[in-house]
Amino acid sequence: MNTITAYKCKKCGLVMYPHHFRCLKCNGREFEEIKPSANGKLLTYTIIEQLPWGIDERERVLGVVEFDNGVKALGVIKAKDPKLGMKLKAGWEPVRVIGGEKVYGLSFQPTK
Amino acid sequence: MRPVVIAGVGMIPFERRDEDSLVDMLAMAGLKAMDDANLGDRPVDAVYVGNMASGLFNHQVSVASALVDRLSLMPAAADRIENGPASGGSAVKNGFLAVASGYCDIVLVVGGEKMREVIGPKATDIVACMTHPNAEYIYGVTLPALAGMFTRLYMEKYGVTREHLTLVAIKNQENGLLNPYAHIQMKITMEGVLTHPQAHVNSPVVADPIHLYDCCPVSDGAAAVLLTTEDIANELKRPIVTIAGVGQATDTHTLQERSDPTDLKAVTIASQKAFSMSGIKPKDIDVAELHDAFTILEIAESEHAGFFPKGQGANALAAGETQIGGKLPINPSGGLKARGHPVGATGVAQIVELVWQLRGEAGKRQVKGAVNGFSLNFGGFGNNVIAFVLRSKS
Amino acid sequence: MDMELEAYLRPPEMPMVPYPPKVITLATSGKMIVRQVDRDAVPILLEAIKPTFEVARDYYDIVGVRLYAELLGWYRYRVRDEFCLVGQIDGLLVGIVNTRCYSPKLGMSLHTLAIERGLRIGAHLFAAKMEYSFEYLKQEEVLITAESPIGFRRWMIEYGLEKRDGQHELGGATPYALTRELYFRNKSRLVAGERPVPLELMQVAEREIIVASEEDILEKILGVKRREI
Repeated sequence: MNTITAYKCKKCGLVMYPHHFRCLKCNGREFEEIKPSANGKLLTYTIIEQLPWGIDERERVLGVVEFDNGVKALGVIKAKDPKLGMKLKAGWEPVRVIGGEKVYGLSFQPTK
Repeated sequence: MRPVVIAGVGMIPFERRDEDSLVDMLAMAGLKAMDDANLGDRPVDAVYVGNMASGLFNHQVSVASALVDRLSLMPAAADRIENGPASGGSAVKNGFLAVASGYCDIVLVVGGEKMREVIGPKATDIVACMTHPNAEYIYGVTLPALAGMFTRLYMEKYGVTREHLTLVAIKNQENGLLNPYAHIQMKITMEGVLTHPQAHVNSPVVADPIHLYDCCPVSDGAAAVLLTTEDIANELKRPIVTIAGVGQATDTHTLQERSDPTDLKAVTIASQKAFSMSGIKPKDIDVAELHDAFTILEIAESEHAGFFPKGQGANALAAGETQIGGKLPINPSGGLKARGHPVGATGVAQIVELVWQLRGEAGKRQVKGAVNGFSLNFGGFGNNVIAFVLRSKS
Repeated sequence: MDMELEAYLRPPEMPMVPYPPKVITLATSGKMIVRQVDRDAVPILLEAIKPTFEVARDYYDIVGVRLYAELLGWYRYRVRDEFCLVGQIDGLLVGIVNTRCYSPKLGMSLHTLAIERGLRIGAHLFAAKMEYSFEYLKQEEVLITAESPIGFRRWMIEYGLEKRDGQHELGGATPYALTRELYFRNKSRLVAGERPVPLELMQVAEREIIVASEEDILEKILGVKRREI
């Protein structure tokens, strides 16, 4: 799979990511698995210059993106000059090595 | 529920303590609280230890059981309580419930953490383990990174500036100089940390817009309180400082799932519960110990706890209202910024400071005439918060 | 001294443009003067270094002993092309750094000893010796090896140094290199200092290198004296 799986409550339609066993709004327990849209907008971000042990990059930009279909997720932001509200398109790539294995996650680039 | 008195308090200086093991530090602080309570040979019914990550930092678990052994308190009940950076607060809450319910008469609560056993970036990683494993941790998110994303939005929404953040650090480090237990004993200036053209070399970016001097240090240390009934406290001839209110509340795990990430709902609800239980209002509070793991949090918590309207906390700070001599002294101890933040110890240390303040034993940092105190212990990144209201009856 | 014999025992000297002193404003607003010292300062520096010999914490012992040897060797004209910079606050010595020019183009970073802690003194002085190598001595690359985890974090991680094959002359772990390119890329973030140094401050610094007492030095290195309260 090349993106995250988000969950839409079958009872009330709330879109959630990550997974919850009960809907955050109506306590429903049945969900439709949905994919986030291709694009979204940047809600907030930070430029991390002190990364945790195990990540060898000098710096990394992380941000929360709201996809067009309502899914919200954290991901690596690959924009030279990030700005709140900027339009981004999602990618999927190794974001960390854990226990010797590459772990994949969301990355975002400016749409234009 | 019957009233619960904090009959004894104690802590050891927070700093880098290479020579002391975690359990040794817990024992040292525990003994201080027991002695401060004049406990003598009286048995303790239960011991609660607040500690976040002894398994990861120190390769040791079940430290409450170990502590009972070191202090020869057997057969006391013992539990280790974990709630991230609010482990200390949760431990106090559990101790409070044990006495308030009538289940126990004398309870020792000790909070401690030994973080300096690992190198900085590893400590950062261990602390990051509290984030969501798939939606946050894998991206290399750190607590400063969450604070950075939060701060950016807070600045955008309320006009908080880096100067405001630096005022928190300056105030708390100045208070730290008055606190012999504080990790950081250094006066910093706006020039040296922010306004000098090269200040960014002294205070480099940790997770923009959070800089080095916006973050609390990594510390080792422990603090303890001895909880009991009013009758026993009188037998022990201790000043009567009670836990008048406790409140706890949770929020979503991930920052992104909060409908408004700048809205610290758990802080608001936990504080309301503590105030409501105590019958005391925010305006009656004489001194507060808030959780400034990052300078932005002191400002944000001062608003969400009910002391200032949203968006006004920074103005109150800039006007000097939260200095020791001000209208509402916040973090006379130096807060997490200067006192330090051995994670599991903090929630207990906040209570220790309040008790000293309410007894009139806070020395050079005494808030005059303090009768009602408030503390807030912020777990995760605001997804599990505990608030206390303390009242002095003496 | 038999100068005829010395001619055989002394190494040749590469001409080095002197390092212009600078003043750094610290987080406390305190001013640290960073300046190059000549051989005549070595005896007093050795006094300051001695207390570190017994301090195993943070590898002060091996850094101190080796720095002592390097400075003494330079003082006695037996070590080639070494330079030494010191940091002083109101004349008080707070740190020492040294490097050897292995060749005109290659610097061999030797040691960084911070006596005052909590103010990024070591980081500032390390940056200063790199500034000297790249901006004044026009070197291409400086080899660095870390003996302490603090050094590793400050340099290898904060600068993003490149690994190299072969050995550093200190014979420690595989060396890393700071290249001209990396230095200039990181400069604005990591190198501070203003020139020229105001006359009064310079006079205080040059008048005397004040060395704290052994007790004070140990307290500064080990952190606040263990408080029994």
